Amino acid sequence: MSLIKDLFTNWSVWRRPGYFESFDYSWGMVIDLDRCTGCEACVVACTAENNLPIVGEKRFSENREIKWIRIERYWSGEYPNAKLSFIPMLCQHCDQAPCEIACPVSATYHNQDGLNTQIYNRCIGTRTCAVYCPYEVRFFNWFSYTWDAPLEQQLNPDVTVREKGVMEKCTFCIQRIREAKDHAKDDGRRRLREGDIQPACAQACPTKAIVFGDRNDPDSQVAQMASDARGYTVLKELNTSPSIVYLRRVDQEHV
Amino acid sequence: MSANIIGVYQYADDLLDAAGRLKASGFDEIELMSPIPLHGVEKVLGPKKSVLRRFALFGAIVGGVGGFLMAALSAIVFILPTSGRPIVPWPPFLIITFETTILLGTLATLIGFFFSANLPAWKDRPYLPAFSDNRFGVHVGCDEDAAEKVEKIMLDAGAEKVERVKT
Amino acid sequence: MSERGQPSYQEVNDAVLPTMTTFTWRYWTALSISVTVMIFGFFAPWWYQLFVGVGAAGMSRAAYWGTYLGNFIFWIGLSHSGTLLSAVLHITQSDWRKSIYRSAEAMTLFSLITAAFYVMVHLGRLWFVHWTVPIPNVMGLWPNFRSPLMFDVMAITTYLTASSIFIYMGSVPDFATVRDNATGLRRKIYAIMCFGWRGTDREWHRLGWAYTFFAVLVIPLAVSVHSIVSWDFALSIVPGLHHTIFAPYFVCGAIFSGTAGIVTVMYFLRKYFHFERYITEKHFNNLGKLLLLLSLIWSYINMLELFTGWFSGSSFEIEALRFKLFGFYAPLFWEMIAFCAFLPLVLFSEKIRTNFRLMLWISIAINIGMFTERFLIVATTQPRKFLPDAFSFYMPSLVEIAITIGSFAVFTTLFLVFVKVFPSMSMYEVKETLNLPTRKGART
Repeated sequence: MSLIKDLFTNWSVWRRPGYFESFDYSWGMVIDLDRCTGCEACVVACTAENNLPIVGEKRFSENREIKWIRIERYWSGEYPNAKLSFIPMLCQHCDQAPCEIACPVSATYHNQDGLNTQIYNRCIGTRTCAVYCPYEVRFFNWFSYTWDAPLEQQLNPDVTVREKGVMEKCTFCIQRIREAKDHAKDDGRRRLREGDIQPACAQACPTKAIVFGDRNDPDSQVAQMASDARGYTVLKELNTSPSIVYLRRVDQEHV
Repeated sequence: MSANIIGVYQYADDLLDAAGRLKASGFDEIELMSPIPLHGVEKVLGPKKSVLRRFALFGAIVGGVGGFLMAALSAIVFILPTSGRPIVPWPPFLIITFETTILLGTLATLIGFFFSANLPAWKDRPYLPAFSDNRFGVHVGCDEDAAEKVEKIMLDAGAEKVERVKT
Repeated sequence: MSERGQPSYQEVNDAVLPTMTTFTWRYWTALSISVTVMIFGFFAPWWYQLFVGVGAAGMSRAAYWGTYLGNFIFWIGLSHSGTLLSAVLHITQSDWRKSIYRSAEAMTLFSLITAAFYVMVHLGRLWFVHWTVPIPNVMGLWPNFRSPLMFDVMAITTYLTASSIFIYMGSVPDFATVRDNATGLRRKIYAIMCFGWRGTDREWHRLGWAYTFFAVLVIPLAVSVHSIVSWDFALSIVPGLHHTIFAPYFVCGAIFSGTAGIVTVMYFLRKYFHFERYITEKHFNNLGKLLLLLSLIWSYINMLELFTGWFSGSSFEIEALRFKLFGFYAPLFWEMIAFCAFLPLVLFSEKIRTNFRLMLWISIAINIGMFTERFLIVATTQPRKFLPDAFSFYMPSLVEIAITIGSFAVFTTLFLVFVKVFPSMSMYEVKETLNLPTRKGART
């Protein structure tokens, strides 16, 4: 009964689009394509940090690899004048994520940090979220993967190992965010500071092309870089409002 | 001690005729049994009212309200925002409401049917197997001393045979 | 008493009741083949897939959905005309429905069960399927009712419940007939199954009302079910799926394939159960007309869907369209057009509509076409979404093919069991269409 009362008295809250009036944090990323060299250090770092399985050559050729961040390569032009462009692609943590409505069991939802979370324990493997995702950054555990000894020793204890039939994707290294929040609490701070957190990919990037931070803080590097004239979001026309802003590469021809 | 008398008829119009005569003679406990739904029974035995439609309406309303509440309350009891949509959005919840309306409407109709048709009844009741085949029957429950009269009326209306059954 | 050529009540019973008790060698052969195929084609590969993971199927990144969902739509579609057609024809009081509707409704029920199996086959973690049931878990967490898949769960459960009730309630008087003609244990079982039905005026009156209510409730339900199935696809933003036309497209296609399914089933019932006097040219003629109409609507919607894709001018839509019309699966697409759009045009001729064998082949061809359509909806859209880097290709694996074949055996097995449990033609309603035996009628 009190629930029904709650439903009607707070009706405007339940009808508010997106529910959160403002996010506590709004974690975001800026990827400067002008700095990116396509070295894939981020891919390796992500694999190590998040216990991504190495699926092997056969599974890879079947398009069943699990890489939460990948470097997409696009060739343009014919051979002598061929040009290569690349873009690191990872979960965009959209504020209006198409994937989130898809799940029948609420295994994916939007948390108050503005993160698009995936709850492995709850996932039943309908794969609907992956179909709805326009960026193809959700990965399915087609099999249960194992790590040969001694590789199981290097698994990150802060991150679960996923079993077969579970969807997974980039979490913005949520284990690091949690840890930083705990430290901040220990230090008696209410908010995280710029630079407290770095996801594995940003940490590993040799050219500092990946910058991570809180977009709610106007002084943060992310917020300032995001308003750069070169900034754009991928597949903007789909109106997913991603959290990742890419900075366009400056070509010689265009200068 | 009451008697149960069954008259067996080959023709449907004879049956209705017999039912009319029995009714006119003041017998109230008349049941017609037939292999198919007969038309014109109401003309003879009076109009029928059934509570069935109330059941259907009630079930549908309960289903509709309950379905919406189930969706809305389950959404606010454990808040998991998705896709920048409201916690209680109209379009999806109306679909859920629609489905539960139909579901409970159907189930309530089923219950209403059992309730108003006095089914299921697995005990023995006045019946002859021929009534599911090609014979029509009338069953009258009456006092022992009126039995003779009932039998006569049935035979006059053209009954093939008249039987007394127990229970 | 009876008109020349019109069967008597007794003859109706004698035509239907023996079909439930006589077991020919043909029946045993069919049953054993279908049970074998069901076990080795459906359950064994499914078990294998549960054991190793969904990777046993041919799906991969981008093509996250495959044959399983194609099959799911197909079976849900096939379920659409039984109950829907039966209910619509009941409301419009078309008498010709009465000799075919029982088997049509059985088709609904069994294809729904097969479709429900496919949902489970599709799942990555079947052992947690109960999380989609609307009850809270220990944390008070409910399923997400905003999800299109949850609409599906609700719709299919409702549809399964409603159509089971629909077919069962329509059969209660016939169970009583079976009871009266059986002995021993069988009699006792049917006595329970018919709830002690006696056919009194009161029971008939209530059943008539209840049945009409069921019909009225089932019609919008059936339309909603396939619309909801289409929204699983249309609510995504995948090019080629994100069309508003999808709901009517699916509903029309569903009735189309379901009606063709009824024609197929009717042919076999007529042939092997000797219902020649009850299932006549008239039924084939009427269903043929319906098929023709549905095929025209289907072609129109299909053209419209392709047109809106092209007219949008979006490069994603056009790529999806190009892949569908001229890509690897193009032959299948044109086969579908030939079977579902052009072949049914021959039904303009009444001669063809009343030719039983031709109708059988046309109905099977239509269902092959419709199966292809469902496969293409899934297989050609997923690999061509947005980012060209993720473009991929989908080819069903052996496990998927085996399960597809096996599911037809599941359906056949259920149907073969059905014809021995239920009277496969409604006796009391066929009797209703005959002349009522009256003394007046007997005199003339």
